[in-house]
Amino acid sequence: MYRTKKVKAFRTIPVEEAVGTTLAHDVTEVISGESKGPAFKKGHKITSGDLCRLMRMGKNNLYVLDLGDDEVHEDDAVLELAAALSGPGVTFSASPAEGKLELRADYPGLFKVNIQALEEFNMLRDVMCASIHTYTTVKTNQSLAATRAIPLVIHRTDLDAAVNFARENYPIFSVKIFQPLKIRLIITGNEVYNGLIQDRFKAIVEQKTTDLGAVLEEAVILPDDRDMISWQIRNYLEKDTDLIITTGGMSVDPDDVTKAGIEDSGFEQIHYSAAVLPGAMFLLGYHKNTAIMGLPACGLYHRTTIFDLILPRIMAGEKPGSRDLARLSHGGLCLNCKPCRFPACSFGKSG
Amino acid sequence: MEDFETLLKGSAEAHGHLCPGQVVGVRMAMEGCRLLGLDNPRELPQIKKLLVYVEIDRCAADAVSFVTGVKLGRRSLKFIDNGIMAATFVHLETGKAFRIVSRETARGLAHEYAPEIEDKHQQQLEAYKRMSLHDLFTVEEVRVTVKASDMPGPTRFKAVCQNCGQVVRDKREVMKNDRILCRPCALGSYFEPIGTKEKKHV
Repeated sequence: MYRTKKVKAFRTIPVEEAVGTTLAHDVTEVISGESKGPAFKKGHKITSGDLCRLMRMGKNNLYVLDLGDDEVHEDDAVLELAAALSGPGVTFSASPAEGKLELRADYPGLFKVNIQALEEFNMLRDVMCASIHTYTTVKTNQSLAATRAIPLVIHRTDLDAAVNFARENYPIFSVKIFQPLKIRLIITGNEVYNGLIQDRFKAIVEQKTTDLGAVLEEAVILPDDRDMISWQIRNYLEKDTDLIITTGGMSVDPDDVTKAGIEDSGFEQIHYSAAVLPGAMFLLGYHKNTAIMGLPACGLYHRTTIFDLILPRIMAGEKPGSRDLARLSHGGLCLNCKPCRFPACSFGKSG
Repeated sequence: MEDFETLLKGSAEAHGHLCPGQVVGVRMAMEGCRLLGLDNPRELPQIKKLLVYVEIDRCAADAVSFVTGVKLGRRSLKFIDNGIMAATFVHLETGKAFRIVSRETARGLAHEYAPEIEDKHQQQLEAYKRMSLHDLFTVEEVRVTVKASDMPGPTRFKAVCQNCGQVVRDKREVMKNDRILCRPCALGSYFEPIGTKEKKHV
C-alpha cells in the first residue's frame, strides 16, 4: 500500500482578510435554545457581507482552502470515486459526510461485487472503498459500500488513476433485480402423502420465494414414488415454469427417490451435493430455461440453509454450477446462532 | 418575495383557475421558503438552493411550483406519488428541510373562518386565506438525503440499454440477467406498443 502524500492545502487567516477565500470546513452557528447548524458550508466563498456574521459568531480566524491546480478536496474527490464505482442499482448521496460517501441499493436485488477489481482499487494511492459481501440479498436504500479519499486533499493524478481504474472495470458494484419467477413445488414423502404428518415445507418455501418476488403457482404432495415424481416434473416442465422445487427424499435411505425422479425427468445439468451445512444433500439442475432445486429435509428444521444462499442467485438470473456450490465451502458452515442473524453473519460469504 | 395576493393571482393565472388548492399551495410554499430563509427563490442565486418534493399532482402542486420557481425540467421539483397534500422544502446548501402537510381538519374549519359565505367552494377558498398556519398545516423538520443522481445541473450519469439502445440518464438503468437495461425493457411499462416497432420486454 502506498503512503499518503502530505499536502498543505489549508491556511489560517484572520477573518477580516478572508474575503474571496474558500472555507475549508463547515462553520457552525449555535443560537441558544433555537438552533444549531452550519451557517457556512465547507467550500463557501466568503464575501464582505459574511464578515459581520462571522465576527458576531466569535470567529476571529478561519481555515481556508488554498488548493493548487492539481489538488482536489476530499468532498469533490469522493463524488468522483462514488460515481465511478457505482453500477446499475447503486446510488449515493450528493452530500459527502466528512469526506465519505455510502453507496446504497437503489432497488431490491442481489448485490454483486467485482472482488478482484475492488481489491486492485484499494491498492491505488490515497483512495479506499469497503463493501459488504458479494451475493448478498439487499433491500432498497441498504448500505452496500463506502468510499473516500484518504487525505483531506488528493492529487488529481491519484484521483484520476482510481476513477479510470473503476471505469475500466465497470461495474465494480451492481444490484441485479430479482425476477418474478413462476415456481412450482413438489413435496415428497409417504408420511406426508398418507397424512401421518402435516406438511410444513409449503409454507416455508412460499414465504422465502415470495419474499423475493417469486410466485408459487402450484404445489402437490407425492409419495416416495420415483415414477410419480418424474411424471410430475415433466408435467411442470410443459407449463410456464421458471423454477421447480422438490422437498425431501434427497438423502441415502431406500425411500429417498426424489433425486432419481429428477434424473428421469430430462434435466441435463444436475449438480448433487453442496459444501454447505445445513444443506449438503442439495440438488441443483437445469433444463433449457427451467431450474430445479431439490431441498433436503434439513430445511424443515434449520431456519437458514443452502436454499437461502442459492435461491437469490436463481431469482437474479444467475446459473450457479458445481464450482459455485464448491466455492460456498469457505463460509459454508452455519453456526446455528440463537437468535439467527443471517444474512448478517459469515454463512454463505465465500467472498 | 411578493405578497400573498400577488402570488395567488399569478399562480391562478399560471394554473388556469383560482381554487382552494391554489390558496393552500401558495401559503404552503411561502411558509416553506420562510422556514428556509429564502425570500427570492425564483431568481439567482436562490434558485439554485431550493429543492421541493411534492406528494400530490393536484392544484396545490402547481401553486408550489409557481411561488418557489421549482420546475420538473430543472430537476428542482420532485414528484413523489403519495397522494398526500404535502410538500417538503429542502435547502441544498444548509441541508435544512421542512415537510408541510395540509391538515384534513382545515376543511371542517372553513365555516368558522368564513361564516358569511354560503357557497362551499368559495367559503373554503376564503377561509384558507384567513386560516392560521397552525390550523392549515402541520410542519415538521426532516432530513432528506438527496441522491447525486437526483441533483439539478448537467447530466452526470448516462448508460445505454443493452436491449434497445436507448440512452438512460441519471442512473435509472437496472441490471437484469447481467445486462444493463432501461426500465421499460427490464420491467415493462405503462404503455403497450401498437405499431410495428414493438419493444421487446426481456
